Amino acid sequence: MNILKHIKIAGMALALGAGMLAASHASAQTINDIVKRGKVKVGVLIGAPPYGSVDAQGNAIGYDADVTALVGKYLGVPVEVVQLTPPARIPALEAGKVDFLVATLAPTPERAKAVMFTIPYSAFQTGIYAKKNTPIKTWEDLRNRTVGVNRGSSVEREFTNREKELNLKILRFEDDATTMQALFSGQVEAIAGPDAQANAAIKARGETETELKFFFGMQPNSMTVRKDAYELKQWLNNLIYYIKQNGELNAVSEKWVGGPLPQLPTF
Amino acid sequence: MPIQFQFEPIFAESDRIIDGVLLTLGLSFGAIVLGLVLAVLLVAAKSLLGRWVGLLVDAYVELMRNTPFLVQLFMLFFGLPLIGIRLPGTEAALLAMTLNLGAYATEIIRAGVDSIHRSQLEAGLSLAMTKRQVFQHVVLMPALARVWPALSSQFVLMLLASSICSFIAVPELSGTAAIIEQNTFRSFETYIVVTIIYLALALTLKVALNWLGRAVFPRVSSVDRLDARAEAA
Repeated sequence: MNILKHIKIAGMALALGAGMLAASHASAQTINDIVKRGKVKVGVLIGAPPYGSVDAQGNAIGYDADVTALVGKYLGVPVEVVQLTPPARIPALEAGKVDFLVATLAPTPERAKAVMFTIPYSAFQTGIYAKKNTPIKTWEDLRNRTVGVNRGSSVEREFTNREKELNLKILRFEDDATTMQALFSGQVEAIAGPDAQANAAIKARGETETELKFFFGMQPNSMTVRKDAYELKQWLNNLIYYIKQNGELNAVSEKWVGGPLPQLPTF
Repeated sequence: MPIQFQFEPIFAESDRIIDGVLLTLGLSFGAIVLGLVLAVLLVAAKSLLGRWVGLLVDAYVELMRNTPFLVQLFMLFFGLPLIGIRLPGTEAALLAMTLNLGAYATEIIRAGVDSIHRSQLEAGLSLAMTKRQVFQHVVLMPALARVWPALSSQFVLMLLASSICSFIAVPELSGTAAIIEQNTFRSFETYIVVTIIYLALALTLKVALNWLGRAVFPRVSSVDRLDARAEAA
């Protein structure tokens, strides 16, 4: 009897918990719900400039914040921006703290088991940068050259994998800034790095001799909704398509990444 | 859960470690020889040439002794190319270490020179030695003998400071360690190995310098020991 009672209570607790979970998941699943509520809660990334950081007043700024403002503009409701660090993004969405994320998340199959992604709205690109008068168009043109890279970065492997084949002399620097400095001062002939950091360094220095030679990698990022929010996802996809077409997303890219919006894939 | 050390991935990269050790040794040995020569020349210039040369030497010594080594390294590696002089990482590192060590050694040797009593100079001159001979035999060699322990510890410090050269992508021992750490994700093991190597290098250098000091300054040091005994008595 006793055991049965326990099971019953446990079952009730489980049902209650599931109900609460369902209730929280049910919040603002549709565009109508959000519009009726009169505001939208959007989670944005902080701590990863230029995509997301915080200004002196504590407001979120960056690529994500500007795209969020566009979302609010087309939704026609005020936006409540919720600042999230990378590991807090998906938990905050699942817990119902935000309606959706504009938080520079890569749509990986692993994550897609837990949440649902829109088509990409931004992308990290990695490229080869060098002086304008250095003739580089492909990897082959790097043969026998001295190249620089941020030690421990994901792009270092691109050089390491080609070290023997292309007879590269790889100099590994402590960070992106020192790597760019080595290129500016001519200590290396080319560097591999992320476009946002390279563009920022070129702009900050007023450098006119250094340019992008080619991109070799791209990591697109998507907006993220809860798993059952099909309607919301469809609306966001529609919005991303729209601001890609009318140039508003390109303006955000120019402002924060320092280059035009790349050809973003869709799915 | 007990901590599991795994040194195999580190030893698998022993070729890299050996290259790193050789570069650390090469840089240190080069900087010690060149820095010592530079310091002796500067002390001689300060003692024998005019007041203006002395002021220039002082300016150099103060500049190098009152700025961080990392900044000096960056100036040579990133700064010199702006005026058209491009030194590759290893050469820039050797030059920075030489200039840095040269300044400290100049100051140490100057202290030794100051410790030579005036009466000894007069004794030398009264023996019809030239000014240069007095400097060489009466001033410099005894001064060097006296400050050799201080110079030795400065040399060991330079050996350890060579690790900073990894910041300009010179693959000496520390730079190598950073690469191995990143390849193996065995930070603790990597730095245990590197610590032991640095310790062994520094102790070996210290012993070698001691031995060298006794070999080069046998007479002077025994005289100094007699002096010390006489003072103690």
